[in-house]
Amino acid sequence: MADVTISTTTTAVPDPARRQRWPAKSRFSLGGIAIWIVLLLLIVAPVGCFLILAVSPHMFQQGSQWFTLKFIRQAFEGYTGRGIFNSLWVSTLVSFLAVSTATTIAWLVHRTNIGARRLWSVSMWLLLLMPTWMMTLGWTDLLQPYGAAHAMGLNTSWLYGEFFGPLGIIIVLTSSALPFAYFIVSAGLQGLGPEFEDAARIHGAGRTRTFATVLPIIAPALLSAVAISFAETMSDFGVAFTLGYHAHFPLATYTLFSAISNFPANFSVAAVIAAVLILLTIPPIALQSVVMRRSKSYAVLSGRTRAPRRREFGRRSRYLASAGVGLVVFVALGVPIIGALIGSFVQNLGDASGAGVHFTLTYYAQVIHPSIIGNGLGSPLLLSNQLGLVVASGTGVVAIILARRLVAAHGGWSQRITDIFLLGSVAVPGVVLGVGYIFFYNLSFITNHVVDIYKTLPLLMLGLVASALPGQTRFMAGPVSQLQPSLSEAARVHGATRFRTWRTTNMPLMSRVLVWGWLLTFTKTISELAISQILYPPSQEPASVTIQSYLANFQSGTGTAMTVLTLVEMFGVIVLALGIYRLVTPEGWRRTGWSVVN
Amino acid sequence: MDDSRRPQPVGVELDGLRKEFGEKVALDGVDLTIEPGSFVVLLGPSGSGKTTLLRCVAGIERPSSGVITINKVCVAGPRTFVQPEKRKTAMVFQDYALWPHLTVRKNIAFPLGSSSRLKEKRDQRVDDLLDRVGIAHLASRYPNELSGGEQQRVALARALAADVGLILFDEPLSNLDADRREQLRIEIATLTREAGATAIYITHDQSEAFALADRVGVLNHGSLVQFDTPENIYRHPKNAFVTRFTGVAGEYPVVAAKALDDDYFEVTLPFAPSHSFKALGVDCQGDSPVLHFFVRASGVLLDAPGRDEGVCAEVIDVAFNGRGYEHVVKVDDHFSLTKVFSVRRFERNANVKVSFDPSACFLMPAPGKGMS
Repeated sequence: MADVTISTTTTAVPDPARRQRWPAKSRFSLGGIAIWIVLLLLIVAPVGCFLILAVSPHMFQQGSQWFTLKFIRQAFEGYTGRGIFNSLWVSTLVSFLAVSTATTIAWLVHRTNIGARRLWSVSMWLLLLMPTWMMTLGWTDLLQPYGAAHAMGLNTSWLYGEFFGPLGIIIVLTSSALPFAYFIVSAGLQGLGPEFEDAARIHGAGRTRTFATVLPIIAPALLSAVAISFAETMSDFGVAFTLGYHAHFPLATYTLFSAISNFPANFSVAAVIAAVLILLTIPPIALQSVVMRRSKSYAVLSGRTRAPRRREFGRRSRYLASAGVGLVVFVALGVPIIGALIGSFVQNLGDASGAGVHFTLTYYAQVIHPSIIGNGLGSPLLLSNQLGLVVASGTGVVAIILARRLVAAHGGWSQRITDIFLLGSVAVPGVVLGVGYIFFYNLSFITNHVVDIYKTLPLLMLGLVASALPGQTRFMAGPVSQLQPSLSEAARVHGATRFRTWRTTNMPLMSRVLVWGWLLTFTKTISELAISQILYPPSQEPASVTIQSYLANFQSGTGTAMTVLTLVEMFGVIVLALGIYRLVTPEGWRRTGWSVVN
Repeated sequence: MDDSRRPQPVGVELDGLRKEFGEKVALDGVDLTIEPGSFVVLLGPSGSGKTTLLRCVAGIERPSSGVITINKVCVAGPRTFVQPEKRKTAMVFQDYALWPHLTVRKNIAFPLGSSSRLKEKRDQRVDDLLDRVGIAHLASRYPNELSGGEQQRVALARALAADVGLILFDEPLSNLDADRREQLRIEIATLTREAGATAIYITHDQSEAFALADRVGVLNHGSLVQFDTPENIYRHPKNAFVTRFTGVAGEYPVVAAKALDDDYFEVTLPFAPSHSFKALGVDCQGDSPVLHFFVRASGVLLDAPGRDEGVCAEVIDVAFNGRGYEHVVKVDDHFSLTKVFSVRRFERNANVKVSFDPSACFLMPAPGKGMS
């Protein structure tokens, strides 16, 4: 046995030089400062300066008053007041509808033997990727007088009037909020091991009591789902810009847009509406964050994770449950897609003159050969793809850095501020960012002394990155926090450098979330409407703006064909990217880590 | 093992090692010298700082002050901090920390680098290790397809693969059942010594510590309380904390104590005022405020009631442990003895006689525990 010598604290002679306290690690790092400068220019400054106009228009030469409450009163009256009120009650109703439906579907998919489980999970992803203005378009094509439903021999005239009002808005927004709620509740359910249910059953609880016992465990996830659904609905611009406008049912995001797009632009009223939107959205999101952090309901990702057990339905119950989920998916996803497809392939749809409807490829020809009407989809879609590529890649890099800072174990006050800030940023609707950008980056101080990018593509790109960044960061923070620190520590202790640790340990486990995060931002950017509509430079329209201008000019067939092609392209990129991922990654990468479809 | 591959064991020296997490002091000036090739076990309750100490040595945590020297090279000091990958250590983690996306083979091969030039040598080394830890048949499995014991074997093989002079063990057996613990404990002891590396192993289980260690360090509240051979720690504990933490059958306040010629004291205990017991005094000089009498389980002798010597007691529980019986014995309404071993079974409620072996009895101050 080897000799061991010892000197304990009680016997050792203190050596002042060796007891010297190490220099404290600097609280400021270059990386941290760089991140804050980026965030300041991307979100804080544009939104902050814009919001100041609500009470102090003179500060930025938008009026004579240094301080006034006039615009607050004005924003809560008339058309804009109705918009705020409508947004509030619609968002509340939609969040509860979406969460109750999503919870049922999530439970059926993750905890029972219901059929076609992968299909339902994939459907939720498709729903997540589908913008609300596309859904609205599909529904409109289907239900309009002499529309697609009429062409199929269905009488839907009774529904048309109802759809162009709160009912339609609620259906589309619920469909849109469904996937957010579904994924949050799914995460909660997956973290809920079967032992809780087993314990309740073993100790004599029936099915109802077991459910009531287990429900509080996933209550944080349910609460989060309600909060996120509410925030997403409040922030939506697609429905407000299309269905809400045509149905004369104003929503706050549209009244904000019209406040600055009408002449003369009223930035102060727009700022009040923006502040109201942000203030209404921050509390539920902050609450969600606190609850999720306290509940720690996410399962920890490791080699020891076990899957929960599923409840076995009998054949009849299984069919019934599958049919129920199928019906929801059909209404949320199938109807808009079918409507849009028919609208793009059938001529004289909506024409009451009796010209007769028939199959046609004319609209697609018009899309492909721009000479017919002057401006096709080619270059706008190409531009949207370029934007998507740049925005998704840029956002992905910054989001992963921010996500790592967010979940760092000893992040201190800097981490907390970043967290609070990102939380707040999620609550900033795209339309607010867009308006903030055109205001801030047009200030003479900014154009003369900082950067002159007003009415340029880089400004649109920045706006899109700023819009995608908070959501993307929080999207990645979940999986990043699930990575056990010991996995990286083990790599470092066994000789791996920081880079090799990231390449061999973190990246494989994060690969799926990175790919899906990128795809999510890419597709969302291609179909993004609010910021694109506000910030697109002259003669450089992205696809979503071009489509809206066709629809507004009563060329709905061509606009719908463009929508279908854009949708096909979006899904095509996803299939292609996932196919490449499957081909080029080792098996281990695909077996573990964050999963999209369970 | 091929001697050419055998790593040179390294010495480790901690000097005034201190680590704070905000207000909390996790390590409070630990001084410790570990000679090359020794197997040192750090023993302590939760929160005693043993994991922090190990992580500081590994380079995962950055100490607040103090110096760490590995193989005579300062790896952490006021102006030095060597990154973990440069310290040439290996570690077995409590949660195994196996990379779930890599097969068993790739997990083990990780410390051997990824150069394609060395593939053949690497494969050979991994095959050898797979054989040595008895999991050759699991080479192509993924971690989540293995049992806890198998996962820990992979973690052990990975640590051995590194061919380094210092292996760190962070409570590697705490997630395993009793049978597997015993089996893996033996394998860890054998394979680590075969590898010729210095080992620092932390645990809160004193039997594990005594079974594995050349030397045991007992930690409490971030300080190293005692560092010695397992035998000395058991027979000559430095204070009440070490005595309690390394296992006692009973601890009693003392009614009266009288110093004898040697280091022993004659003691009167509350449950037997007419008897006197002999105990080794530790730090009893001067005016120790509260003295307690401690007796190890190995120092309690149980006998039938007819015997003259000893104190009358009643058996309140008995448990078979394979080699014999462990009894819980009540000496009066307030005091009892636990883990009292006898090859003979004494039934519950039976009257017995209890006597103590003075070499396993200690008299020492017990701060914080008043007379009950």
